[in-house]
Amino acid sequence: MNPPPSSSPLLAVRGISKSFPGVRALKGVNLEVRSGEVHALLGENGAGKSTLMHILAGVYTPDEGTVLLEGKSVSFAGARDAQAAGIAMVFQERSLAGPLSVAENVFFGRQPVGRWGVINRQEMHRRTSELLAELDIQISPQIPVENLAPAEQQMVEIAKALSINARLLVLDEPTSTLTESETTTLFRVLHRLRERGAGIIYISHRMAEVFHICDRITVLRDGEYQGTFNRDEVSEEQLISRMVGREFRFRQPESTRQSTDRIPALKVEELSDGRLLKQISFEARAGEITALSGLAGSGRTELAMAIFGARPTITGRISIQGRPVALRSPREAIRAGLGYLPEDRKDAGLFLEMGLAANFGAAALERFGSWWLDDKAMERQAADAAARLRLSNSGARSVHELSGGNQQKVMLARWLLVRPPIFIVDEPTRGIDIGAKMEVHQLLRDLAHQGAAIILISSELPEVLSLADRILVMREGRLAGEIPRGEATEESILRLATLPHSTHAHARA
Amino acid sequence: MLMPAPKATAAPQTSPVSTEARFRFRLTRETVLLLLMLAAIVGATVAYPRSFPSWPNLTALLRNTALDGVMACGMVVLMVSGVFDLSIGSMFSMVGVLTGWMMTEAHVPVPVAILAGLAIATLAGALNGWMVAKVKVNALIATLGTMQVFRGIAVLVGGPGIANLPPGFSRLGQTEWLGLQTPIWLMFAIAIVGQYLLSKTRFFRKYYYIGANPKAAVLSGISVERMQIFAFALMGLLAGLAGMAFAARVATATSTSGDGAELRIITAVILGGASLSGGRGTVWGTLAGVLFISLINNIMIFARLSPEWQSIIIGSVLVVAVAMDRFLGRRK
Repeated sequence: MNPPPSSSPLLAVRGISKSFPGVRALKGVNLEVRSGEVHALLGENGAGKSTLMHILAGVYTPDEGTVLLEGKSVSFAGARDAQAAGIAMVFQERSLAGPLSVAENVFFGRQPVGRWGVINRQEMHRRTSELLAELDIQISPQIPVENLAPAEQQMVEIAKALSINARLLVLDEPTSTLTESETTTLFRVLHRLRERGAGIIYISHRMAEVFHICDRITVLRDGEYQGTFNRDEVSEEQLISRMVGREFRFRQPESTRQSTDRIPALKVEELSDGRLLKQISFEARAGEITALSGLAGSGRTELAMAIFGARPTITGRISIQGRPVALRSPREAIRAGLGYLPEDRKDAGLFLEMGLAANFGAAALERFGSWWLDDKAMERQAADAAARLRLSNSGARSVHELSGGNQQKVMLARWLLVRPPIFIVDEPTRGIDIGAKMEVHQLLRDLAHQGAAIILISSELPEVLSLADRILVMREGRLAGEIPRGEATEESILRLATLPHSTHAHARA
Repeated sequence: MLMPAPKATAAPQTSPVSTEARFRFRLTRETVLLLLMLAAIVGATVAYPRSFPSWPNLTALLRNTALDGVMACGMVVLMVSGVFDLSIGSMFSMVGVLTGWMMTEAHVPVPVAILAGLAIATLAGALNGWMVAKVKVNALIATLGTMQVFRGIAVLVGGPGIANLPPGFSRLGQTEWLGLQTPIWLMFAIAIVGQYLLSKTRFFRKYYYIGANPKAAVLSGISVERMQIFAFALMGLLAGLAGMAFAARVATATSTSGDGAELRIITAVILGGASLSGGRGTVWGTLAGVLFISLINNIMIFARLSPEWQSIIIGSVLVVAVAMDRFLGRRK
């Protein structure tokens, strides 16, 4: 495929505006994507990225402005139109049908048919295998997608996008559930697509990725266009300033806090669950942030759930402040002084249809009455917490209406009310924008400062490096080793997380 | 469901909760139902000015509603938590028959038989709950199974039914106070207490959390399994109580008296604002749903229409109400 003449880019969005009742989501936004480029779209949650993408996907119609595809004005009546024009989307929310096979999903609604309209399975499986081979993934086209890991499901989504011969591919936070090696695979695929002349819009909050893979970067803030930059002519801090609308400096990691307590807040000895977790022993001390690092699937979340009483049949010993405990349910764990911020806020954290106050009070209902509930007090305290955490749009009727960052703040507010002395946070900044991320980081530091033992589970190595006092690395359900703060680098963590039988000097039994 | 709230612009530090939006009239399913009832009452009063708005008709209407109302109070708790119970009709018959059998065949004193009957109902309900919460059998399947088991037990023990229940028992169901029979007072008492419990107490509030997101409820420290067993046990107790009250009122325990109650009551609870997916529902809305069905039934009799019309109307209202609900609550 040859790039079209430079006079007409692959996609040109000019002066797009879109309002919803009560909000102007987009105000005169421009975006230009050339053939053969990866174009990053940056902005905080609520900046208008997803509204813009929904317009490209044909889900919304803009109030003003034009969308030009290869110089021709287009307007899509629906998602099918956009697909037919060669625009493919991979949204954060999976759109796969779980019980159906990989091939059925890739060719959903477009299955190759023979005579009599019967689906030609062989043909479908063959073409799916080709697509998967192109992506360098070893998945059978015949297994149900619900049996796949999240990362593999993501690849199926991309294969689905490829199967329509997309000229413009939109990826929304594609790496948020991918491991490092899967991310590398994804990037290789993107390079290949770029060489073939496709245009790619890449939405991510991860700056390192943006600088690694993208050619140009467009920034949105509060629905307004903030400019387009060449990768080589802009710095990370400049971009962040554009996104948040104020000067921005990355925090330097603080000097190591040393806990003076002799008794660890939490001590885990030889914990196993008969399935994934094997003989895990570690300690977390008050006033420290202990990171649990490792690849997706290494057992970090399972370990957290096991400690929190949410995973049955565990063996081993857990003691809190030196006292042995047997935690059979999250209820008992909370009473014993633990808190757990789950990884997947929509699935396991929030009560989406309920309001802010109800979500805020969920883990501490006894604070609002032993028999009857004082709803007024709950609302008042929730409003205070919302103001303290600078939660915007706190008048929303249900947390469903809030952006990802604000939803995360609601969950944090729930646990701030409980104030657990031992607080396990699982991917506390996944999918939230950089401003909210910095606020969450500061909050975790403050909590540690005030004497909580924080256990941080995170796939983002920069986050681990800037927050953690000690870093524990997990691999395949075991603790692979511990790296003290001073010696930790992304490389040293990754080496420990990936290499079997590491001879790393600091690995401990 | 609710109309979408006006979205505050995303400025940091907005005022916490906009009171304006909260106190505005909202077109919920409960209010729609009340409007429909009002229209039906006005229409029937105009059409049948002598017979419809009369005391005998009102008491007859309430008497037919009362025991459904009692059971619906248990069902709404289950539905708020996202499950339901299909076995309550059979439970209603079975407990009536077992209590009657104890009094007539086993010659157990009336108070003991009543207590034993309620205990059986509670335990049978807890069995449903145990299967759903602990064994993780889907509520539809678990209670579909026990529905047939209970029905079988009722017929096995009582044959077609047990007549000539002792007067000491039947009097309990027939006594009138201020012109209304015991079952009616039972319904009002349970509904008033139930409304208070479900809307105000910490314990029952947890059912809303469970219905909204069971996983998140567990991780927030709510004992979901125990709460679910309790709700099913409560449902069993109320269904048993209703079955017993019915047997007392007609002085006969029939083995099929409760057949079909389960779907009628689930319909009423949904009309009253609850949802099959849980997280929503109120006792007063539920009571309105039950009364609505009786009201339509009552008016059909005045209109000399065959009972099939009742099914057609109730069925249509159910589907239209839920469909309208989706339309009103549609989100971006």
